[in-house]
Amino acid sequence: MIYLDHAAATPVSDKALQAMLPYFSEQFFNPSAPYLPAKRVREAYESAKDQLAHVIGAKGVDLVITAGATESINLAFTVSHGKVLTIATEHAAVLEAAKLHDHALVKVDKAGLIDLRDLEHNLSDQVDLVSVSLANNELGTIQPLAEISEIIRRVRQDRLQRGITTPLYLHSDASQALNLLDINVSRLGVDLLTINAAKCGGPKGVGALYITHGVKLAPINVGGGQERGLRSGTENVPGLIGFATAAAEAKSHLSYHRKQYQEMTKILRQELSALQPQPIFLGNPKKQLANFCPVTFPGLDAERLIYRLEGREVYVSTGAACAASKGSKSHVLAAIGLSDAEIAGSLRISLGSTNTVDQIREAARIICEEVTHEYERLSR
Amino acid sequence: MSKKVYLGMSGGVDSSVSAVLLREQGYDVTGIYMKNWSQDLPGMKCPWAEDLADAKRVAVQLDLDFEVWDFEADYKQKVVDYMFAEFQKGRTPNPDVICNELIKFKLFYDRAMERGADYIATGHYARVRQDRLLRSVDENKDQTYFLYRMSDEATAHTLFPVGGLNKPEVKQLAKKHGLDVATKKESMGVCFVGEVGMKDFLHEYLDAQPGEIREAESDAILGYHDGAIFYTIGQRHGLYLGGGLPYYVVKKDLQRNIVYVSKNLNHENLWTRELKLEDLHLRNGLTVDGLMKVSDLQVRLRHRSELLSVRVKPVLQESSRPTGSERSEQAPRNDGRARACLEEHGLAPALQLIFATDVRRPASGQSAVLYSGEVCLGGGIISD
Repeated sequence: MIYLDHAAATPVSDKALQAMLPYFSEQFFNPSAPYLPAKRVREAYESAKDQLAHVIGAKGVDLVITAGATESINLAFTVSHGKVLTIATEHAAVLEAAKLHDHALVKVDKAGLIDLRDLEHNLSDQVDLVSVSLANNELGTIQPLAEISEIIRRVRQDRLQRGITTPLYLHSDASQALNLLDINVSRLGVDLLTINAAKCGGPKGVGALYITHGVKLAPINVGGGQERGLRSGTENVPGLIGFATAAAEAKSHLSYHRKQYQEMTKILRQELSALQPQPIFLGNPKKQLANFCPVTFPGLDAERLIYRLEGREVYVSTGAACAASKGSKSHVLAAIGLSDAEIAGSLRISLGSTNTVDQIREAARIICEEVTHEYERLSR
Repeated sequence: MSKKVYLGMSGGVDSSVSAVLLREQGYDVTGIYMKNWSQDLPGMKCPWAEDLADAKRVAVQLDLDFEVWDFEADYKQKVVDYMFAEFQKGRTPNPDVICNELIKFKLFYDRAMERGADYIATGHYARVRQDRLLRSVDENKDQTYFLYRMSDEATAHTLFPVGGLNKPEVKQLAKKHGLDVATKKESMGVCFVGEVGMKDFLHEYLDAQPGEIREAESDAILGYHDGAIFYTIGQRHGLYLGGGLPYYVVKKDLQRNIVYVSKNLNHENLWTRELKLEDLHLRNGLTVDGLMKVSDLQVRLRHRSELLSVRVKPVLQESSRPTGSERSEQAPRNDGRARACLEEHGLAPALQLIFATDVRRPASGQSAVLYSGEVCLGGGIISD
């Protein structure tokens, strides 16, 4: 098996799994229970939170642990009582949350990069939340978050000068980036940051929202008042411990992995470029997560390719897994101006810790064979 | 050159194995997913996208061309709206019969022929021999009950690749060919709704008022229902009248919105020796006169129920349908002159079924399907 869809899910790392296991069995206690063994579980939970926060340059008290990134995004959007700005290439979780508010979409270029001038242009006094992902989940495009936050800082100053008290917050969905970019909330200048365990070697259904001190949110779950009252429900102790372990592990291997992925995607691009007609690589490799290789084979039906490749135990996807299962075409690729034929022929290839250089060469060979087969089928 | 076949692929095991068989028989096969319904309902996810993916995966595994044909608007108009109208009249329609008649073996067939097909094919359990529709070899799976209204023309150009096999053999073939759908759960009834979900489905689209449930014999109020149109004569589940012997629905008064029930399984409304059929569809040029001469005539009143010996006689009745409507175009093709004469007088041909002994009365709106031996002769809709 050659797995090339790490943007959809990563396997749980051995270290994370081992760290989690005791908290399913002997350390099963409810961290809110009054006796000593439960208190130990509470301590382990809080210390895992600190460990996770440390990975993004924050403190444990700044984090609310959620059941995945979607929940984290929904919680972040409770900050807005006015207008929201985002971009059309965002994950459905952000776009759907934005739709619950007055909102506008800032332009993106052919690579999916935000148009900063259009952002400034759209930052009217009604806007109180800007949400731009750190890295896109279909293209791997890395957005210039620091520049965005600088614009936001200037607008805030300008508003104060004019006596306007509407706050302005910056949220970023960093789900795809935790294992590839060195994330620091202060450097990014974000007020709210979403992270996700399932994309960096942690378990599924666990995420977190970083919240800058002083930002007021509304609870998405009410109940026992856990997670600062913002997300009631008994804490997912093994989930957070697995998340923190995986995130710390990913951070320690960051530069090594990045180099590896750069080498592998380079090989992949070279091998696929030998095909006729030539495939089109999407996004801008200089501003793209190192493990992403989104590509389109114009004229082909990528779904057919996926099933052909699946028959040879090579697993890739089209667009986001959730969009694919709805049978709809990728809104991300439409937003960067791809034609229907280009969208129909596009694969999202995303590498990860399970891959080796040999695997990538083998996968490239198999992809080339199957692409050729499909082109030949069309010309029959 | 090999013959061109357009195969309806649902993502289920039967149509998938049909693809394998057709390809083995040397046909040039194009797989088609018919998109008839895609809306989710509260608490029910329509599995069309998964079914489409399953169908496409099999097509690609077999290296077939594959397309999606969208009949959603037609399905809504011709099948779902018909179904709603029937329920509102207090009947229990069979939408699968109408879907086969007007969508699969009409729109799908026409489009395939326009595209130059020699045949269409589906995964139904049925057979075609000398342009006649025959029951499948697997008597337990036979689906001719749902197919009796398909046109003679479509029948002559249809292949049913699994019709000659038993279901276990079909599953075995699916496994042998490594088809992922080998173990897939069978879809039942109307798309994803199934029989269990039908009431919820209707609730979503039809207005219904709560009313009384009364005992037929005593007229005593036993409970309340959420809309008389949702109940079918003979039904004994979903009445929520407490334990003890079951109650059966024996009568519906739609005007007063009352459902009458009885504990008496011998209640006269539950049994009959005669049934009237309307909206006849007789196959292969058979006339009512011809039908009366069939010596071994049998009828099936429900899918998979036993075949009953029956006699028939014609009845004249006032036409229940406005002439010139969509549905009456699909009207029986009996003796043209006789029919014209009947219609001239506002009469439509109907048929009386006469049984030798009492039979459980099927709900009006359901179909009765006639056979001579293994040949399906046609059938009609059971009237009130």
